[in-house]
Amino acid sequence: MSFDHDTVTGFAKSFGLFYLIAMSIGVIIYAYWPANRKQFDHAAHSIISDDEDRPCP
Amino acid sequence: MIQGTWIVQCGGVGMVAQLTALERTYAAIILVCVICVGVAMAVAGRGDLMAAHGWIVALFGMVVMALLLRGIDAPDPWEERFREYYDDPTKVGIILSLIWGVIGMFVGVWVAALLAWPDLTFDAAWASFGRLRPVHTSGVIFGFGGNALIATSFHVLQRTTRARLPDQLSPWFVLLGYNLFCVLAATGYLMGLTQSKEYAEPEWYADLWLVIVWVVYFLIYLRTLARRREPHIYVANWYYMAFILVVAILHIVNNLAVPVSIGHAKSYSLFSGVQDAMTQWWYGHNAVAFFLTAGFLGMLYYYLPKRAGRPIYSYRMSIISFWGITFMYMWAGSHHLHYTALPHWVQTLGMVFSLVLLVPSWASAGNALLTLNGAWHKVRDDAVLRFMMLAAIFYGIATFEGSFMAIRAVNSLSHYTDWTVGHVHAGALGWVAMITFGSLYALVPWMWKRPALYSARLVEVHFWLALAGTVVYVFAMWNSGITQGLMWRTYDQNGTLAYSFIDTLVAMHPYYIARTVGGLLFLAGAVVAFYNIWMTISRPAPVDEGAAADLPVEPPAPRAWAQAGE
Amino acid sequence: MFNFHYRLERNAMGLVLAIVVVASIGGLIEIAPLFTIDETVEDAPDMRVYTPLELAGRNIYIREGCYACHSQMIRTLRDEVERYGPYSLAVESKYDHPMLWGSKRTGPDIARLGGKYSNEWHVAHLYNPRDLVPESKMPAYRWLMRNALKIGDLGEHLAAMRAVGVPYTDDMIANATADAYGQANPDSAQSAGVTARYGESTNVSLFDGKPETLTEMDAIVAYLQILGRLTDVAQKTEQANVE
Ligand code: HEM
Ligand code: HEM
Repeated sequence: MSFDHDTVTGFAKSFGLFYLIAMSIGVIIYAYWPANRKQFDHAAHSIISDDEDRPCP
Repeated sequence: MIQGTWIVQCGGVGMVAQLTALERTYAAIILVCVICVGVAMAVAGRGDLMAAHGWIVALFGMVVMALLLRGIDAPDPWEERFREYYDDPTKVGIILSLIWGVIGMFVGVWVAALLAWPDLTFDAAWASFGRLRPVHTSGVIFGFGGNALIATSFHVLQRTTRARLPDQLSPWFVLLGYNLFCVLAATGYLMGLTQSKEYAEPEWYADLWLVIVWVVYFLIYLRTLARRREPHIYVANWYYMAFILVVAILHIVNNLAVPVSIGHAKSYSLFSGVQDAMTQWWYGHNAVAFFLTAGFLGMLYYYLPKRAGRPIYSYRMSIISFWGITFMYMWAGSHHLHYTALPHWVQTLGMVFSLVLLVPSWASAGNALLTLNGAWHKVRDDAVLRFMMLAAIFYGIATFEGSFMAIRAVNSLSHYTDWTVGHVHAGALGWVAMITFGSLYALVPWMWKRPALYSARLVEVHFWLALAGTVVYVFAMWNSGITQGLMWRTYDQNGTLAYSFIDTLVAMHPYYIARTVGGLLFLAGAVVAFYNIWMTISRPAPVDEGAAADLPVEPPAPRAWAQAGE
Repeated sequence: MFNFHYRLERNAMGLVLAIVVVASIGGLIEIAPLFTIDETVEDAPDMRVYTPLELAGRNIYIREGCYACHSQMIRTLRDEVERYGPYSLAVESKYDHPMLWGSKRTGPDIARLGGKYSNEWHVAHLYNPRDLVPESKMPAYRWLMRNALKIGDLGEHLAAMRAVGVPYTDDMIANATADAYGQANPDSAQSAGVTARYGESTNVSLFDGKPETLTEMDAIVAYLQILGRLTDVAQKTEQANVE
């Protein structure tokens, strides 16, 4: 396979779209994966808890 | 006792005493190296402007060394420190950020005035528009924004991981090293040292230095994360990490250059022409994305929920927008090069991704505003929270405008005009500066253990100054930009261009005056903020019983020492 | 317990890797093809490199931040082509390390400035723009007239440019200082070497009007006069893409 200008450009033009789609699907699955729900909720609430302002021992 | 606390908390000596003896030794070694490098630069660069920078580096090292030496023989800090977060670098970072902010915005007003009254240069080379302008842009972006990012990132990182920073030396290395970079940048422009690449102007040696600083910064992040007590890494840290990592990649690639010699400040970029243009705007646009957006979104995702006392509206959405932004910005740089000699397909690609980029951008802005939904009474009463809300709104406006301007046909009008400058400042004043001021206002009382800021009234005053200044600035530039763009392309009945270039320049004049006034309002607000925060810090902490529980326990050994030093 | 920590650290590294991969692929894919663009870009066999004096002038242009207000990139738009001349081609900036396309036109585009005005006009304009154009916003650059030009190290500059790919010959590098002097002093012995090395049409002239000294004004005017004239390929090829 040769890396002439047309091949490289052709790849650049098409690849982005597929990459975008794959990426969105992956991220949405991760974000909505039921098992992840708990840690997300926990994370969202953890920063506003009024615990004392100290590192964990 | 109160004074002792004050010195321990704020004075440089107290901060040095917080370092262990070993850390102080390492610090001294590093500073000796810095001073030697400075002198070496001064010697190697004899007869070149690099010598001046060598002396500045050496001087910087000596000043920090002097601060260090004042506390070098203090006893080792108390072991109890491990029960506290390490916030000294954050405190200094906040102050540095405000100082750079006032300087950078002052130069901004000056630069704005130069466009209205060009003879304000007074026949001094360093005071001409072309040299002052990068002092403004670097001063506000790197000095003001960068210091705020470093300061808040250390704070957020520790709170969200519930772990103390891994050591006490490397944060100082990052903060002070970074400020040395900023000093080299600003003084360099005044002397005429620049690579001319927008937002990457500093010359090769400053760039190399920044790489070292940045690697240490990244390692602090990793080492703290490795010690974290929360299994999940809070999303604000993702944004800060993307900021650190991607800025590193961009910085290294775009600054590749060959210096004339080891004793010359001047270098020649590795890239030329169209490749250089694409690399530069890949860098330039992503400096916007990962410096002016990702980092500040990190701030937003921590300080806004915290201040509002409500969790972020949708944590999932914040994750989705994170990956959207990380992914898509990288493709969008070519919208800076529409209708140029850049191949057409690259322009189209940039345009398409810029349009899709609106989705994660608005998801972030919407997420922030929805978090406030149900807490509007707080927004009404608390100007600090209102700063953050306004920031989210302007973020929405600036990104909508950006996506719009990325459309080729729109860009044919907007490019090269003040419309771009208006867009920039809708983002810079409305988003970057507002979220920074909001976060710093929230952070200062926490850091210095004060019940509240010195004056809530002054925050209110600042809020209205900032809003008025931004609106005046942005509307002036929208008007002038669109007017100029239209005049450039207007034809008369004979089919010839109707306006000379100078005609359009005359039309700009009133807008340039208006912009200067708007900038002045904004600058006044920043000065008010500085005063307010300074007064908050310098008034002694209250010692009523309730608040005392929150204060760090007085370490026995340093106290004896601090009293002796009074 | 051990396992727990292991997972924590793996998460952090995973996040780092994911960010780097997701972020860098976009830039790579998009920029990579530009480096094979030489295969398709217009060719300009007549194109010459900057003379040492012009390069020094270019460095002054950079130093003073002129690029903050002047673009050097005429877009493929009808009004721009009519106002400024043929639109800019990629090849025209192929020796520009870095490029100075600019992003803001507080002043007009100057990609095709060379030859448009006389040297005297430029000197007067740089000395005080408002003497010639009363409404101008441009700063006065009087110090360019006062500052002697530093030419002793121009050979090193040319060598650095060669290191990044500009075809300077050993001869050019060795004679850089003399050529800089000769180009601004047509009556001097050194001026013949300039045309010998850079071509007959090289602009050899008393740029700042003063024969005795070589000032920064000489260099910047020499640079401004070469803008758009390293090659005339843009004038010769058909401007097919005007929109
Ligand atoms: C007091 C407030 C400010 C004033 C008066 C001001 C004024 C200006 C002026 C006059 C310019 C040059 C425009 C031109 O060349 O036509 C400029 C450029 C710029 N300023 Fe500001 N500025 C202010 C605040 C800020 C802040 C807070 C930021 C960032 C956080 C910022 C970021 C920038 C950037 C990135 C540019 C370059 C724009 C471009 O290249 O298109 N400014 N500013
Ligand atoms: C979806 C998000 C955004 C998109 C698609 C976008 C798009 C654009 C476009 C098309 C331009 C004009 C390029 C030109 O014609 O030269 C531009 C310039 C600029 N934008 Fe944005 N923008 C976005 C968000 C932001 C934000 C949030 C900021 C924050 C401060 C910002 C800062 C800038 C700066 C500094 C420039 C000027 C660059 C220069 O010429 O020096 N942008 N942007």
